[in-house]
Amino acid sequence: MKKLLLLGLAAITLSAFTTLPGKLKSTISHIAFYSHTAFEDIKANNYKSIAVLNTESGDVIISVPMQSFEFEKRLMQKHFNQENYLNTADFPKAKFKGSIQNMDSHDFNKSGEIALIIKGNMTIKGKTQPTTMEATALVKKGKIHLSTAFNLTLSDYGVEFTSGKPSKHIAKTIEVNATFEFNE
Amino acid sequence: MNRKKALVAFAIILVAGISVVTYMLNMPARDVQGADSDFQIPSTALVQEYLDDATAANKKYLDANGESAILEVTGFIADISVDFNEQVVILLQSDNDLAGVSCTFTHETNASTNDLALGMEIVIKGVIRSGAVYDEDLEMFEPVIIEKSDLFDIL
Repeated sequence: MKKLLLLGLAAITLSAFTTLPGKLKSTISHIAFYSHTAFEDIKANNYKSIAVLNTESGDVIISVPMQSFEFEKRLMQKHFNQENYLNTADFPKAKFKGSIQNMDSHDFNKSGEIALIIKGNMTIKGKTQPTTMEATALVKKGKIHLSTAFNLTLSDYGVEFTSGKPSKHIAKTIEVNATFEFNE
Repeated sequence: MNRKKALVAFAIILVAGISVVTYMLNMPARDVQGADSDFQIPSTALVQEYLDDATAANKKYLDANGESAILEVTGFIADISVDFNEQVVILLQSDNDLAGVSCTFTHETNASTNDLALGMEIVIKGVIRSGAVYDEDLEMFEPVIIEKSDLFDIL
């Protein structure tokens, strides 16, 4: 009887480890943005975002520390952080809060690639806008690799230049690429 | 003669002006390790400062140009990992702390973590990017984020 109980416990423990728990965390991430104009191309990288993916409810939360965007040139990075650009001292984090659409048709316990639509709200510089992003989830060996690409219109978040150098050198809409590894 | 002098002076000013503008536009990234530290603080105290009053802590540590405070943080190693950019990340956190201090090294400083192990008490120097906070949507504590780190001392 004792042996049976032990076996049962072992089976439950094993199944708990082979099936992914509902809420997965990601601290391994990369967000890159790209602004293209005839005058200048601007790129920045951020490796410090934190995200949570709930494979049962479909909730996706992403928190982005804004001062972690690294630029090639120091002056660009200074501008990015300043009050009339992203004002990162007053708004140190950006956040996306959304949910995966049609969760019933996705199985995160099976290895393979899943095409997703994530709908939610993006908050940057204290302004919140509805955002929809197409994403791909690659499920492999208990890990989920989520990647997405979408465009952001800067004026939606109060970043707007109507005259001077910034109006010509910074694109009105920037391209964002993000990848996350969920594993715990 | 005076006209010649004026021309020479103008040329010098012009060259100097162009040099300054060119330097400003191409200024290399901030040298965090070469600069003086602004604060020395244990990881537990830094986390607590943020959990007590995030607005006051942001005002103290974050800079409007993104060139925020350079800290020497003392703490115990709770985790060692590597990020997507192949940079070593060391989490300083004591057992009773609600959040830790996540310190990211660089390709140049990664090697100084080679002999480090969990539980060691060390000092890390780097620039602060954001503070510790309980995020209700994530339903977890986010760590203080330090980047451009290097090992400052082993205690």
